[in-house]
Amino acid sequence: MQRIVGKQWGDRLILGAVIALAIIWVAPLVWVFALSFKPNEFLTVRTDVMFSPPFTLKNYLDILGTSAVFRWTINSVIVAVLQTFAMLVLASLAGYGFARTEFPGKNILFFVVLAGLTVPEQAIIVPLHTIFADLELHNTFSALILPRLATPFGVYLMTQYFKAIPRDIEEAAMLDNASRLKIFFRVILPLSLPAQATLGIFTFLHAWNDYLWPLISASKPEMYTLTLGLASTQTNFGQSEGIGYLMSQAVFAGLPVFILYLFFQKYIVAGVSGKPVK
Amino acid sequence: MNKLLISISTGLALATSLLQPAVAQPKTEITLARFFGACEADYGKSTDVKAARGECGVITTLINQFNATNKDGIVVKPQIVEWGPYYDQLTARMVARDVPTIAVMHQTSLSDYVSRKLVEPLDDGFKSVGINTSEFTDHAKSGTAIAGKTYGLPFDTFSWLWHINGNLLKQAGLTKADGTLMIPSSPQEVLEHARKFKQATGKPYFAWSVSGTVPTNSWTFLSMMLQQNTELFSSGAKPKLNLRTQDATKVMDLMSQLYAEGHVMPGLDSGGVNQAWFKGEAAVALTGTWRIDDFLAQSEKAESPAHNGYTVIPFPKLFTKRVVYADGHSWVMLKGGAKDEKTRKAALTFMKFLWDNNYEWARTGHLPANRTVIESAAFKALPMRSNIAVISTIGRNLPHTVPRQHAVQLTLSEELITMQLSKKPVVQVQEAVETRVNKLLDSVR
Repeated sequence: MQRIVGKQWGDRLILGAVIALAIIWVAPLVWVFALSFKPNEFLTVRTDVMFSPPFTLKNYLDILGTSAVFRWTINSVIVAVLQTFAMLVLASLAGYGFARTEFPGKNILFFVVLAGLTVPEQAIIVPLHTIFADLELHNTFSALILPRLATPFGVYLMTQYFKAIPRDIEEAAMLDNASRLKIFFRVILPLSLPAQATLGIFTFLHAWNDYLWPLISASKPEMYTLTLGLASTQTNFGQSEGIGYLMSQAVFAGLPVFILYLFFQKYIVAGVSGKPVK
Repeated sequence: MNKLLISISTGLALATSLLQPAVAQPKTEITLARFFGACEADYGKSTDVKAARGECGVITTLINQFNATNKDGIVVKPQIVEWGPYYDQLTARMVARDVPTIAVMHQTSLSDYVSRKLVEPLDDGFKSVGINTSEFTDHAKSGTAIAGKTYGLPFDTFSWLWHINGNLLKQAGLTKADGTLMIPSSPQEVLEHARKFKQATGKPYFAWSVSGTVPTNSWTFLSMMLQQNTELFSSGAKPKLNLRTQDATKVMDLMSQLYAEGHVMPGLDSGGVNQAWFKGEAAVALTGTWRIDDFLAQSEKAESPAHNGYTVIPFPKLFTKRVVYADGHSWVMLKGGAKDEKTRKAALTFMKFLWDNNYEWARTGHLPANRTVIESAAFKALPMRSNIAVISTIGRNLPHTVPRQHAVQLTLSEELITMQLSKKPVVQVQEAVETRVNKLLDSVR
């Protein structure tokens, strides 16, 4: 009995701590959301008022009043979706190859892929830009998508996940005369859904939020992605005189990602925790 | 019946051809790379420049008005970029051979592009469209002329100002017998006034930014350095920064002491500076020309601590010379931007339009680059402008021989902030700035 009561108090303490942490983490988001409904002129004087007047929808109307914002959103969707799809295909194929097949130089090649994890994006951005300039591909979706496909993280994640799948399953399929490709598509890939979801979500998030590469690759306003386009509308001192507008941009740009998370959160949690989706 | 149909069709065709313009004028499109933000919701279709407010509003309506009224068939297509990474994108565009016809450029950045032969000289072009460079103000001329050639159309001069809440200074007894405000005229007086103010009100005298994203601390420092008889940079092909001088030490000691004694409101960024001043938490906000209208609007409110007490002055003379640090925006034509002579002429025509409307741009708070405008009654009638008009004469840039000026200023600003926030000794700050800046200057090819 004592043990049960002790456990209940322990659970309550843990729950209390988790709730407190959640409040701390969510508070800045709530603040951003609240400030997005405040007039810029009001926020130049104070930013410590959240839920009392004045309120305004002007910041959002200003975003929607920018005719290009829908084009930018579509651009971001195209880039993020295609990049995610391509990444999942390539990383899955590469990961299965590293996990299950044998070929000369496999270990060296895997090492080279892993070494790519240590190279920051900024270190290669200049030669990357020059390559695409020589190919005359800037201001195209190809330039926005292709460079992002060569990221080692996806290959590494899928390789490790495939390695963790018991070989018995594949061997059973092989006994039924299934080809390697058939095993991959019919047996292994469906089992890797949590990893696919994790990689897909992270790739989508990264693609959606990407700023640096689109900044220097998409110089024509009609090719801007949403992050780049919204940033371009900020005045020179937006951080001091356009705070409400800045906050509304953050909410607007983050909304699709938030909605995506609502639909796929169980896969994200499963992928992060390593537990299967029920 | 057939004859009737043919007659009707012929008549319609004739009527249509008569109603259409004889020959559609081919448009000449020029692209204009700029920052200043986008405000399509408020000014997207407006051509009423006089009703526009703020940098975004004025430039948007100017472009709209030009597009709507020019008789040369020129269409200006703005390509708007965020201010912070503007030069990153501009350089990337030049590499990608996607060069805009006209680009806005700070005068601090101009020499970097000129030295790499990326900017066209415009003297002949200006003559062809009637822009008289003798009408440039002193600061505008020095900011856009390099080695005897003009490389940009100056658009404005902007500088670092003391925005003063006179009500608070009066409360602290910092007024003369005639009621005018006491403004310090030496480093010692700055400290004395600040101490007296703090004693009387319990508040810090200054509000200035100690956030590093914009190099504003360097502007405070440079204003005071330029007032002394000292050369910060050596002359020659590879200039070097020399900060270990008595003059630099005096300025750094002052900034450090002001912060350490609590005469500067701690931990503010540029938004925080505005808020502190608006709430009456400090007497003097160090910020730029572009804030005048906002400060004025706030001080006109009855509940404002600065109600009827707002004034603004250029950075005061604390040392030998009456000089302030100033920069400016200019419009340049980059090489490869104008694809042909027709486009080039169109760009120059638009530049002439901007030049003719320099007064409208001056309503943003920046000082006009046009001497005629700055001496005009209309400009002098704008609030507070007569206080600061002198900056067009006493404003100074760093010499054009100093490359990477923005990066130099950022480095200087960072170390000055560290000096204030963490009480880093001035000697160490001087050494750090010299090492970092000279390494940067050495790397410039």
